Amino acid sequence: MKRVSLLLSLMLAFSLVLGGCATSEPELAPEPAPTEDTTDEEVLEVDPELVGTTVNVFAAYGGKEEIFDQFEEDTGIRIEFLDMSSGEVLARMQAEAGSPIGDIWFGGGVDSFIAADNEGLLERYVSPFAVNVPEEYKDADGAWTGISLVVVSVVFNTDVAEEKGAAIPETWEDLTKPEYAGELLMPDPSISGTAYTTLSGLLQTFGEDEGWELFSRLDANMPFYAQRGGEPPTAANMGEIMAGIAPGIATGADEGYPVVTVFPKDGTPWWPAPVAIMEGASNLEGAKVFVDWCLTKHGQEVLATHDPRPPVRDDVPMPQVLIDTGFPEADLMTIDFYEIGRIRDDVIDKWQKDFAAKK
Amino acid sequence: MLQPGSDTVSTDANRKERSSWSAPFRAHAETALQWLMLASLGVFILWPIAAVLKVGLFVDGRPTLELIRSALVDSRGLLGNSVFVGVTATALTLFIAVNVALWATRSGSRLSKPLFGLLLLTMISPPFVTSLSYVMLFGRRGLITYKLLGLTLNPYGWHGVVLMQGIGFTSLAAILLIGVLRGMDGRLEEASRDLGASPTSTIGRVTMPLLIPGLAAVSLITFVESLADFGTPIIIGGRFTVLATQAYLNFIGISNLPVAAAMGILLLVPSLIAFLLYRHFMGRLTFYTKGTGSAGEPMALPRWLLILTGTVTFMFAAFVTLQYLTILFGAFATTWGVDFTPTLKHIQGLPSTAFASISRSIRFALFTAIVGSMLGMIVAYLLERRRFWGRSGLDFIATLPFMIPGPFLGIGYALAFRDAPLALTGTLAIVLLNMIYRQLPVGTKAGAAVLSQADPEVEDAARDLGAAEHQVVKDVVFPQLRPAFLVGFVNTFTASMVTIGAIIFLISPGTKVATIELFGAVRGGHIGVAAVLANIIMLVTLAVNLFFSWLMLRRDATKEGVLSVPATRAIDQVIQRSDGGR
Repeated sequence: MKRVSLLLSLMLAFSLVLGGCATSEPELAPEPAPTEDTTDEEVLEVDPELVGTTVNVFAAYGGKEEIFDQFEEDTGIRIEFLDMSSGEVLARMQAEAGSPIGDIWFGGGVDSFIAADNEGLLERYVSPFAVNVPEEYKDADGAWTGISLVVVSVVFNTDVAEEKGAAIPETWEDLTKPEYAGELLMPDPSISGTAYTTLSGLLQTFGEDEGWELFSRLDANMPFYAQRGGEPPTAANMGEIMAGIAPGIATGADEGYPVVTVFPKDGTPWWPAPVAIMEGASNLEGAKVFVDWCLTKHGQEVLATHDPRPPVRDDVPMPQVLIDTGFPEADLMTIDFYEIGRIRDDVIDKWQKDFAAKK
Repeated sequence: MLQPGSDTVSTDANRKERSSWSAPFRAHAETALQWLMLASLGVFILWPIAAVLKVGLFVDGRPTLELIRSALVDSRGLLGNSVFVGVTATALTLFIAVNVALWATRSGSRLSKPLFGLLLLTMISPPFVTSLSYVMLFGRRGLITYKLLGLTLNPYGWHGVVLMQGIGFTSLAAILLIGVLRGMDGRLEEASRDLGASPTSTIGRVTMPLLIPGLAAVSLITFVESLADFGTPIIIGGRFTVLATQAYLNFIGISNLPVAAAMGILLLVPSLIAFLLYRHFMGRLTFYTKGTGSAGEPMALPRWLLILTGTVTFMFAAFVTLQYLTILFGAFATTWGVDFTPTLKHIQGLPSTAFASISRSIRFALFTAIVGSMLGMIVAYLLERRRFWGRSGLDFIATLPFMIPGPFLGIGYALAFRDAPLALTGTLAIVLLNMIYRQLPVGTKAGAAVLSQADPEVEDAARDLGAAEHQVVKDVVFPQLRPAFLVGFVNTFTASMVTIGAIIFLISPGTKVATIELFGAVRGGHIGVAAVLANIIMLVTLAVNLFFSWLMLRRDATKEGVLSVPATRAIDQVIQRSDGGR
C-alpha cells in the first residue's frame, strides 16, 4: 500500500503548506522530485468498453497532437480535437446553450472556465488523481482541475532592440520607458485571457490606483491592442514589434528567431491551465479517463515534454528549458482567480473607456 | 399530341392551360417541388437570419433598438470604417480590373493566356494567405521592405487593408469583366469607328457604357466581400478595426451574443442598400450580348490606353505572382525572415490530424458542390421557367446568402439549430447544410444565366412534338444546364475549399477542415506550417478546377450544338462565387 501512503503524505504536505488558501503563492518544484517517488507507478484502469470510443476535445495547448497520440496509445480511447482559444469555446458553449459541443475542454484561461462553471456549463468531476494537485490549482467542487501553469512572459526581440538602442527590460516599470515607445504589444484584454490576467494581476499586485497608473504608462508605449492572443509573440518573433506579452516562454528562439524570454521581476502573472468535462458530454466515462490521465504522473510528464510549462504535481520535474530561461527565479504574482473573475466586467469596462477608446 | 383547346401558336396562355389540363398529377408534383424549395430555403436561410435578428433586436422578448444604438455608439465609427474600406477597396479593384480586362481582351498580346491562367489561379485564395504574404514581404522585417530596401515601415493600418483587399478581389472582378468584354457585340464598336469616332472616344462612349452593367455587378460583389472580410483587418489592420472584426471578436472573445448580433445587423445594412441599389438600376440596364456572334476582331486600344493598361496589368501580375511565390517558398524556408535554408521539415512535421482535415475538406467540398449545384439548378429552373406564387420571394431568398457576411450566417446557424425541432449542434449535418445553402447562389446564378439565354420555345417545340413534361426536363432542359452545373460545381467546390467565415462557428472536433487547421497555424505563428497548408489547399482546388475546365472545354469543342453556344457564352459572365473564405 505504498501508493496510499504516498497520497496521504502528499495530501498532508499540501494541506500543511498551503493551508487551503486559494490566494497563496504557488509552490514550485524546480528540482526533479526525489527518486523514491518516481518508482511508484499509479495505475490508470480503463474500462475495456471504452477502448475504441472517441472523446471530442476543444484544446488550447502546445504539442497537443503528440499529447493526444500518447493518450490514445496508453488508453485505446481515440481523440478528435479542435484548436480553439478558451474565449471561443466559452462563446460557443453559451451560443449553443443546452446542446453539448464536445466532451473535454483542455487548456486555456481559467477565467473562462470559472465563467462557464457559473453558468452551469461544466460537468463536475473530482478525479481520484486530483489529490496530487494543490488546492489553488483546482476548483474545490471539481468543475475544473489545473493540469499545468501558464506563466505570462514578455517575448523580447533583441535584434530590434539593438537597432533601436534599447536594453532588455527587467520589470513592468522598465517597459514604461520611452525607449519602448510604440514597441510593446499586448492583446485586447476583453479577448485574451493572457492580457486580462496581466492587467488584473497588476491591479492586485500594485493595488488598484497604483496598478491603473502603471498600466496607463505601459499603455502609452503600445501602438494598439492586438486582436488575437497569439499575435504579440508572433509579432515579436518576426520583428514586427520589440516586446510582446505572451502566455509561456519565447518558443520562437528554438526556431532561430532573435527573441528572449523576460519574466518581469516586479510580478509575473500566471494561472493554472485547467481541464474540464463539458456539461452533457456524450462520452462522459471516456472524458473522465482523460482527466485522470492528465493528472497521473505519467500524463503530467507527457504534458511537460510536449509543452514546456510548470507541471501542477510536485513529483514531476520542471522542464529543463524553463529552468534555462530563469523561470525558477521569476517572481510570481499572488493572484486570486475567483476575485479577478468577479471584477472582470468592471475592469474591462474601465479599460475600454479609459484606454481602448483612446487608441 | 394536341391538347384540347390548343392551337398551333404557342402562347403563354395556352401553355398554362395545357399544363394544368393534361397533367394534373405532374402539376401537383411540381407544386410540391416549389413548396419544398421554398420551405427548405425558409428553414436554412431565413430562419438562421431571423435567429440573429431576434437576439440583436429583442431584449427580454421585447423589441428594442437599444442594442443597435449601443453598438453604434460604442463601436467608435466602426460602421464608417467598414464603409470607407469597402468603398476604397472597391474603387481600387475596379480600377485594376478594368485595366487588366481591357488589356487581356484588346492588346492582342500572347501573354493574355498566361494572364488569364494567373487570374484563375489567384481566384483560389485560402483565407489569411494574402495578409500573411503581405507581412512576410512588406512587414517591418519584410523580405522586400527591410531585407532588400532597408526600410522599416509600419505596414499596419487601413492602407494595408485597402491594398490587400483591393488586390485580392481583383482576380475575380477581372475575370467577370473579361467575360463581359468578350461577350460584347463587336459591331457596335465597328459602327462607331466607321462613323468617324476615334478609338479613344469609341472606348469612352461605346465600350465603357456597355461595360457598366458588368462594373455594377463587380462593384456589388467586391463591396459586399470587403464588408464581410475579417481575416485581412484582423491580421494587418493594427489599430484600425472594422465592423466585421468587432462582430467576430464580440462573439468569439467577449461572448457577447447580443452585441455581436447587433453589429452583424449593422453590417447587413450597407450590404442590403448596395444590393437593392443594384437591383433597382440593373432592372433598366441590359447586357448587350444576346443573340449576336462577336463580329470580327475586337477593336485595338489607342496607344496611350495600351500603355496604361499594360503597365497596370504588369504591375498587378508581378505583385500577385510575388505573393503566391512567397507562400510557396514560405513552405520550404526553415524560418522565414531569419533562416531561408530550404527544408522539408514543415511538410514532414505536419501532424496526422492535418491530413485528416484536408481529406475532410475535399470530401465536404465535393458533397457541397454536387448537392449545392443540383439544388441551384432546380431553383434556377423554377425561377426561369415557372410562374407561381412566391416566385420573386424565392428569387430574393436564394440570392440572400450572397450578401450576408459569412460570420452572420454562421452565428445564425449556431443560434437557430441548437434546440429542437432541429437540434444539429456539433453534427456533420450543420456544417454541410451551412456550406450548401451559403453557396447556393453560385449554382442558381449559373443555371439562371444559362436558362435566361436559352430560348424556351425549344422546350415548347419538344412539347408540341409530343414529349411528356418529364422528357422535356430530362432531354431538353438538363442538357442545356449541364455547363451551368459544371460552372456551379467548380465554383462551389472552390469556395467550399477556402471557406472559414461561417463554419468556424459550427465545426466540432470531428468535423475540422483544412482552413481551420490553417487558421490554427497562422494564429500560433507557425508560418512554415501555414504556408504548407495553404499550398495544399491551393493545389487540390487547382487540380479540381483544371480537371473540370478541361471537361468543359472538351465538350464544347466536340459538340458545338445550337444550345451550347449561348451556354458557354453565359459561362464567362457567371463565373462568380460568393465570398468564400472571407
